[in-house]
Amino acid sequence: MRRAAAWLLPAAVVAVPLWVRDSFFLNAMIHVFLFGAAAQAWNLLGGYAGQISFGHAAFFGIGAYATAWLLSHHGLSPWAGLWVGAALAACASLLVGYPTFRLRRHFFALATLALAEIVRISFLNWEVVGAATGLYLPLGYRNRFEFLMWDAKAPYYWTALTAFALATGVVWVVDRHRAGRYLRAVEQDEDAAEMLGIPTRRYKLYAMGLSAALTALCGGLYALYVLYIDPYNVMASRISLLVVVIALIGGRGTVWGPVLGAPFVVLLNEYTRAWLGGAGSGADFILFGLVVVLLSLYQPRGLVGLLAKPARPVPVAVAGAGAEAPEPPPTAPREEVVLEIRDVRKSFGGVQAVRGVDLSVRRGEILGLVGPNGAGKSTLFDCLTGFVRPDAGSARLRGRPLLGLAPHRVAWAGLGRTFQAIRVFPELSVWDNVLCGAEHRGESLWEATAGEAPRAVQDRATALLRFFGLWEARDRPAGELSYGQQKLLSLAMVVLREPEVVLLDEPAAGVNPVLVEEMGRHLRALNAAGLTFVVIEHNMEFVMRTCHRVAFMAEGQVVTAGRPEEVQRDPRVLELYYGR
Amino acid sequence: MELVWHAAVSGAVLGLVYALVSLGLSLIWGVMDVVNLAHAEYLMLAMYATYWLWALGKVDPLAAVPVVVPVFFGFGWLTYQLLVRRIVRAPVAAQIFATFGLLFVLRYAAFAAFGPNVYGVWRLGEGTVSVLGVPVATSKAAAGVVSLAAFLGLSAFLRFTKAGKALQAAAQSREVALSLGIPVDRMYALSWGIGIASVALAGALLIPFYQVSPTIGDAFLLVAFASVVLGGFGRVDGALVGGLCIGLLENLLGTLLSPTLKLLFVFAVFVLMLLVRPQGLLGEPGR
Repeated sequence: MRRAAAWLLPAAVVAVPLWVRDSFFLNAMIHVFLFGAAAQAWNLLGGYAGQISFGHAAFFGIGAYATAWLLSHHGLSPWAGLWVGAALAACASLLVGYPTFRLRRHFFALATLALAEIVRISFLNWEVVGAATGLYLPLGYRNRFEFLMWDAKAPYYWTALTAFALATGVVWVVDRHRAGRYLRAVEQDEDAAEMLGIPTRRYKLYAMGLSAALTALCGGLYALYVLYIDPYNVMASRISLLVVVIALIGGRGTVWGPVLGAPFVVLLNEYTRAWLGGAGSGADFILFGLVVVLLSLYQPRGLVGLLAKPARPVPVAVAGAGAEAPEPPPTAPREEVVLEIRDVRKSFGGVQAVRGVDLSVRRGEILGLVGPNGAGKSTLFDCLTGFVRPDAGSARLRGRPLLGLAPHRVAWAGLGRTFQAIRVFPELSVWDNVLCGAEHRGESLWEATAGEAPRAVQDRATALLRFFGLWEARDRPAGELSYGQQKLLSLAMVVLREPEVVLLDEPAAGVNPVLVEEMGRHLRALNAAGLTFVVIEHNMEFVMRTCHRVAFMAEGQVVTAGRPEEVQRDPRVLELYYGR
Repeated sequence: MELVWHAAVSGAVLGLVYALVSLGLSLIWGVMDVVNLAHAEYLMLAMYATYWLWALGKVDPLAAVPVVVPVFFGFGWLTYQLLVRRIVRAPVAAQIFATFGLLFVLRYAAFAAFGPNVYGVWRLGEGTVSVLGVPVATSKAAAGVVSLAAFLGLSAFLRFTKAGKALQAAAQSREVALSLGIPVDRMYALSWGIGIASVALAGALLIPFYQVSPTIGDAFLLVAFASVVLGGFGRVDGALVGGLCIGLLENLLGTLLSPTLKLLFVFAVFVLMLLVRPQGLLGEPGR
């Protein structure tokens, strides 16, 4: 029954122009498809990657102008012109995106708003493309397939529908594969995504370029349909806003959001204009505004979120239900130094947070890093992982320098890290969270878009989730897990790709004693399987039982390092830590 | 040269009004880290309000200020209570979309009520006053003077009154302010009241020489953002410096190069500023 519906509905949509002759309706549907496709393109950037653009009219307009100008001035077929427009729009978008992506999100939104105005005013004053007079498309080319222009509405209906299907297909492919997962990770917590090795800026640029190109295709098709363009009808801010509203009301960050949103918004828009005439113009937009406000408060996933069935609760097994560590060969601590830290220094203003730290981490050990609050432990981690630029010093992982690399490069070099506060991606499923921790070095955008993670990685992710007792919860959003389970999950994420060294920032803080015990067991098991850890921790009992060696930090320096019992008995430690 | 001087003086006067437009945006942004995309819609509504008071009630725009400003203070307060307080701690995206929806509602409410036509206050035989040797229309000069007075008044309020200091404390840290017993929620509402009142004042000052239509917000929103980003957001002096710069830039480049492209330069400078120095001219570096 459902399968039949899944085929019949699209078939019916395709067949509409065969029996419907109402040209107002067909015109409305062409708008639904073209703006729906543009909204789908926006969705890739604004929904998945979380970079909110209010300037998509610029890309729409660039596509329209490129197609129209090449056709009217050079007789170039739209089959080529559409792609030229898409390429130009993608280039323009990267020009804006590259510098603005390092800013906070609302600055990006503002920059796109300004960009759209800049492009519009430029075209208004650019004589080559007709300035304020605009461009007429040559009518002599009509009714020829190679020029995509017709007298009847039906062929336009089908080309617009094809564009809508294409855009939806692209989003569907991205959504189903690694790229979609990474984009959503970027949207939810960019720093955490970086630290897992996801090159966040590359993915944002990818989403932006693809989004701009698809939007330009829609603009080009729109020009071929309306046959006359000027900066008011293809570059108005109204277009940017319409596209955003469609995606928001339908449900941003979902494949079906724009598909539901487009008919709702566009048909309502077209028909209120027809029914109410000039007097009522604006009434529908008031409604859209109210709906957007309400959705932003109560249902961020829009119509899709309202229609989706609430997920069935899955029982979550008690963590660590007796599963074994994924790879058992035990390794004893060796003398080989894998991470060498020399004289790392960092001051914030007048405060010297890290004052020349020297530390050697040996392969296969669990090194505890203890010390009072403010000793500079987390700042040291930040320096090593590229979130803070140290003033001086060096750090080498198996001989390769780390300092000065971006966080994702640090991850690629083989260093993993968890954060003091939990940084899982709350709206991604547990399974997707773990797979975000896959190896990203050498992973091309094409691989990420076209395929799922390799079998071996999925197997290891499965083994890790079983090991941590999270397998039963694999389909649930990570935000629904308990605090302790989220800690286990963040550990699973960082060890998936088996980094050379894993830095853990307070893995046992804030969890109940049973879980502290369990966390220690997990760490020892993973260590036995060959992983090296550096653990910041205040729980001394945990440190004593888990770590092979302990380094004690105070006032930005390593005071002493050695076997746990020795360090614990060291009079300097007693004085600095316990204040004797 | 005289042309340039004339352009500079009238640009500075216009810049003072721009500064007043961006003041509220900057204040709200600084106090609670919410970027109000609907900010310029309040300007548009205040311009309509002043226009109708003049057209129907024969009230001079300057005389309407004591009515319009308190009403919009209430409007801002109400906006906070009904909508903004629910999103203060929401993700950035939810904040952006909530005020974006508000922009739609306000703009198209104006469309539905007043239609797409352009309205302006026409006063025949308006005199000029001499500002630094340049004749400036009385209404423009008055707008500049009142804007400047509003800035001084707000600075004094923030610096010398208890409520003003509490507002600054709430802006610095919500948690610390709460623990000191400062009613942060009320301070947020106050900043919305002041922010919207100040943009409404700008609207009342603009209407004698600037026509209003429902979509006027687009240009002003960008001008206000440009001023805020140029001067450094969250700072009263930043809005003033930013607004003056934008006014000068717009008028000077418009005179020297091409009047049709003047806004283009403003936005180009805005984007460049975002890229080179996002903390603004007066802001301190850091994220």
